[in-house]
Amino acid sequence: MGKYKIDVTEENCTFCLRCQLGCSDAYFKSFNQNNARIRVKTTGLDCTISFTDECRKCGICAENCFFGVLQKTSMEETV
Amino acid sequence: MNYGGFAGKVLLVDLTSKEITQEPLDMQLAVKFIGGLGLTLKLAYDNITPGAGALEPENIIAIGAGPLVGTGFPSTSRVFAVSKLPSSDTIGWCGAGGADFGCQLKNTGFDHIIIKGRADKPVFLKIIDDQAEICDADDLWGRGVEETSLDLWNRVARPAGVISIGQGGENLSTFSMAFIDRISTLGRGGLGAVFGSKNLKAILVKGSQGIQVADRKEYKRLHKELTREIRDYPYLKEWQDQGMLKSFPIVPMETYDKIKKRHVACVSCPFGCKDIVEIKDGEYKGQVICSSSAINLFTPQIYGIKDYRESIKLVSILDSFGLDFFEFFAVITFAMKLVEKGVIRKELADPEIKLDSFESMKIWATKTALRQGLGDVLAGGFKGMIQEFGEESTQYAPAMIKGIHPYAGPGSALPWSLFGTMELGQVLDPRGPHVGSGGSPTYFAKRPLDVFYKHFQRMGIPGEAVERILTAEESDESEKSLKVGTLLKYSHSWFSTLGSIGICARAQVNRFYSAELCADIYQAVTGIETSLDQLRERVDRVWTLYRLMNLRENLPRETDQPLPERWFKADGFKEYVSEKPLSPEDVRQMIEDYYAEWGWDRITGEPSPAILEKLGLV
Repeated sequence: MGKYKIDVTEENCTFCLRCQLGCSDAYFKSFNQNNARIRVKTTGLDCTISFTDECRKCGICAENCFFGVLQKTSMEETV
Repeated sequence: MNYGGFAGKVLLVDLTSKEITQEPLDMQLAVKFIGGLGLTLKLAYDNITPGAGALEPENIIAIGAGPLVGTGFPSTSRVFAVSKLPSSDTIGWCGAGGADFGCQLKNTGFDHIIIKGRADKPVFLKIIDDQAEICDADDLWGRGVEETSLDLWNRVARPAGVISIGQGGENLSTFSMAFIDRISTLGRGGLGAVFGSKNLKAILVKGSQGIQVADRKEYKRLHKELTREIRDYPYLKEWQDQGMLKSFPIVPMETYDKIKKRHVACVSCPFGCKDIVEIKDGEYKGQVICSSSAINLFTPQIYGIKDYRESIKLVSILDSFGLDFFEFFAVITFAMKLVEKGVIRKELADPEIKLDSFESMKIWATKTALRQGLGDVLAGGFKGMIQEFGEESTQYAPAMIKGIHPYAGPGSALPWSLFGTMELGQVLDPRGPHVGSGGSPTYFAKRPLDVFYKHFQRMGIPGEAVERILTAEESDESEKSLKVGTLLKYSHSWFSTLGSIGICARAQVNRFYSAELCADIYQAVTGIETSLDQLRERVDRVWTLYRLMNLRENLPRETDQPLPERWFKADGFKEYVSEKPLSPEDVRQMIEDYYAEWGWDRITGEPSPAILEKLGLV
């Protein structure tokens, strides 16, 4: 179980990729959206957001989000 | 030493010989010219054959993204293209953000691409990691920007970046643009036609390399501080909700709210001022349209298109053709006048040119993009029209500078009447009128002079220069005047700073940046020692080189050039502070002040040998 529960509101997403860049840098010391554990699959009009199996729900993606797409809640609070 | 931020290589593509080579990025040059805009200008200077026509194979397209692009620092997505532009016949920058392109270009391992020559048939350039290939584009030729971008995205899984032109560029319209990721515009001046002249339909990039920063600890500290400031900004939500309409509320917010579908942000931007809208009713019900700015979508209403849905549709048609809609309206207004005055025979203007008629404008957009009938002449812009209808026809032309319409000013699309740096910048950017480089800090708002001090400090203007910018009569210290020409030197320096590092220059973004922060973040990302003074010197080198490369192309001195008469009529421009009517002599004085502040010859605008030596440009 991860540290946080991440709530996702896809319709708010602007495709800024801040979540992916922050995630990849945190785990690979390199800004590279291909390595991110959060996946933003976009057609340019819409998107679907998912997390890879390796994702620990550390919340870095949510900390980088400015558009209210990703909201983190401490797992302790959700119990 | 391993530098951070830079991808590390330059790709050279000769479309004539089909030769593709890669070179390591010359880090000595990178240090001298910063990166992004600065380094792209330098590569253009070194690779353009002096005197080559914009549409000749000897012209090049240099493309680049700065060291911050792809790092996730807020609003760092800028991509620049530098080329000789057919409208102005000067070498100019075209800059834009974009969804993927800058980031993906860096991920392929290239900071810059230099394209020269001319393909013998339509091609697109595909760069997947370090493998570059010139590909057949027969099936893309004749298609619009959106269609082309979507097609190329379908060929490789996104994320991938696309620069594409529409039919306007293919048919060498001098006001055609290239689009980044179908939503951001490399516009004003005809870059699309340069692509078209090379038979280059598009560039597709997709990479997996990633970008590292040199000093992670310092990067994180600066990032945390800046993102906290942005989150605390009381107007953040308004900017996110209203996009560019917050700065220029061209339509009621209810209209915008009705059609707003989604905001789109360039990579790493917390504001997201690009738009996806959906027309909710009427003939175009259900159509979803992407735009660089909602302001653009509603601009045809200024020219008389009453129905906002038709206005949106018209801009989407022009976007798809890859035509600059500001210039299209300027040119079509000129044509309408020439018909009225009998210079163009009425039967040639079929259908009747009516600015307030969607049907008429739609047909003329098509005729222009495809060069049908009179559209063939219109596609040549002001230059082509004057060539066709004679020098005397210019008396009926809208305002014009270096062959391009300055769209900010009295009688233009953005009818702002105070003459600040953005307005003077339309005269003094070698590329011809563009509001991008001279905007800071006056923009579209009258600001009390007291507010300027903090912006001056932020933009890195040395204290001793402030006294030359805000001057007072000895008799009355409280009555200060603003020396717009002197200040514009620093607007251009600031634009060069942001563009070379990779930061967006839009007001809502650049207000959070200072020159000091730029020096610190550049050093943290690249590992290149950079004090504020060092950054200032490099930036001065960048813009001075830009001037030099255009003087090499015989750029006429601005003091000798006619200024638009419309600017000085009864309802023309006004002086920024006193709001007294502006005269051509006032503007000429500002031009001299601008030259002098750069240390250039006050009359000729040529950099002195001493300045060139100081900047290492001899």
